[in-house]
Amino acid sequence: MEQKQLLSLKAEAARCRLNVLRMLAASGHGHVGGAFSAMDIVTALYFYKMHVDARDPKMADRDRFLLSAGHKCLVQYAVLAEKGFFPKEILDTYGSLGAKIPGHPDMHKLPGVEANTGALGHGLSIAVGMALSLRMDHPASRVYVVMGDGELAEGSNWEAAAAAAHYGLDNLVAFVDFNGLQISGPVQEIMNFTPIEEHFAAFGWAVKCIDGNDMEQIVDTLDQLPLTVGKPTMIVAKTVKAKGLSFGEGRVDFHFWNTDPERLAQAESELNAQLAQYREEWEALS
Amino acid sequence: MNNAWEDARKTCGSAVCALAREDERIVLLSADSGKSSGFGDFMKSDPSRYFEFGIMEQAATGIASGLATTGKIPVFCAIAPFVTARNFEMFRNDIGYMRQNVKIIGRNGGITYSDLGATHHSLDDFAIIRMIPGVVLLFPQDPNEIRAACKAMIDHVGPVYMRVGNGKIPNFLPEQDFVIGKGRRLASGSDLTLISTGPLSYAAIEAAEQLRAGGLSVDHIALPTVYPLDRELILSSAARTGKVAVVEEHYVYGGLGTMVSDLLAAELPTRVLKLGIPHDYATSGPYDEILKAYGLDAASIAASLAAFCGR
Repeated sequence: MEQKQLLSLKAEAARCRLNVLRMLAASGHGHVGGAFSAMDIVTALYFYKMHVDARDPKMADRDRFLLSAGHKCLVQYAVLAEKGFFPKEILDTYGSLGAKIPGHPDMHKLPGVEANTGALGHGLSIAVGMALSLRMDHPASRVYVVMGDGELAEGSNWEAAAAAAHYGLDNLVAFVDFNGLQISGPVQEIMNFTPIEEHFAAFGWAVKCIDGNDMEQIVDTLDQLPLTVGKPTMIVAKTVKAKGLSFGEGRVDFHFWNTDPERLAQAESELNAQLAQYREEWEALS
Repeated sequence: MNNAWEDARKTCGSAVCALAREDERIVLLSADSGKSSGFGDFMKSDPSRYFEFGIMEQAATGIASGLATTGKIPVFCAIAPFVTARNFEMFRNDIGYMRQNVKIIGRNGGITYSDLGATHHSLDDFAIIRMIPGVVLLFPQDPNEIRAACKAMIDHVGPVYMRVGNGKIPNFLPEQDFVIGKGRRLASGSDLTLISTGPLSYAAIEAAEQLRAGGLSVDHIALPTVYPLDRELILSSAARTGKVAVVEEHYVYGGLGTMVSDLLAAELPTRVLKLGIPHDYATSGPYDEILKAYGLDAASIAASLAAFCGR
């Protein structure tokens, strides 16, 4: 991939992280850890890979995106807003009564949201149903689903994993946002599902492990889809919790953050500095 | 009315398959239960629209929702407790909260899996599925009505839960179109309103006839749509009789009797007798004998109703 395109994607991710800060400023709290760890993946999907159109969010042959770990909704809202699915002013309503952007996504409130996720262990099943149907009617369309690592303990995921492989759904691409931390502590101490890649491979998936905060690796992997014809794809994305929040990276207490104005301002300043740096690098390449 | 006896679940399965052959949006889902659900021919004739998931009711419910998001009309049929209680959160969130056009058929419902025992009985399905906003609950009464209800279920845009039983049941009602939310007056009377649903209406009819012979005039209302209630029919009858009895193959708590009681308590305070299964793990054995053990055969129903009316 061209360096300029890569820089553009990194800049989009920084802008989307700023959108998350805007929502956190409005509500004073939110699940920032998972939103920031998954941000580079979701940004790459929407700004590089997926066939979607913000002006026609229901077009029949669109690719689908599901956030199975619905508590990471800030990432979805941030990217959809940046992509133009809804006015950014809506970001300022996060946490308010009847907001179109509730603490877990609601498909009937916001264009671009494909499922009402939040209860863990649901997204992959819904994605399998979508992939089965799209394969019949729109074979070029894909279904992308981002799962949390903690939610792998939900047994329904493994039912869906078996069904996806049984039906050979190579139009289904799942990511595990493997930031290694869930609300009570390290995932491997609470309920160990490592090696995640071997579990899914045993279920019949084509599997790849990447650094999920490395935009180049994400994009390279998206270029290789499907990893294996006739198999669903699992990308185990090793990420850093709260990636991009300098004082929160890798910290379990930033799974859910009760913000304070000083630190929000610090985070905003750091992300703006990062954006400026990307701009300089981009201009240097021109 | 031909009075022929037909197998409830096979009747339902054949009706669904016939509808699916006419409408390519319909897809059938099975949890290791396709042949038992009457889908055997369809899985051979239309394999691209038949999905077997094995014993996997939780994911299959979510998968049904995913299929529906693209415009398919998924019909997922399996054993009643496993498509209502086991997968409840998927039913609530993926079908209910997502407002998807999915049809769930709980077969071998009630205590019709008689000797298999309480794990396989569904005596709480009306109670728990009714708690999901926007879901229609159907329990048709005879084979002709099952066929008509299947068509209405597909024509209705939105989630539907339909319970069907097991084994042969008689055709005992005049054939007519099924209108969701509308009850049927099976007999007119002035002393007591008798409300029934499902194939147990057959015993209820016999009970009402016995009472009529003894001089008690029964207004018999059948409610093959368990929810939403036919409020007008219930309230107008209760206003005339002043006494209401509900007979159902469900726990006496949380089912049709409770819904009728709630309606009457709010709109027209009326004494209500609820006949059903007591709130316990039901016994096992031959179906007819279980019904009799809980006072749900025609003679026992008649005796309970007579006592309720002070006869």
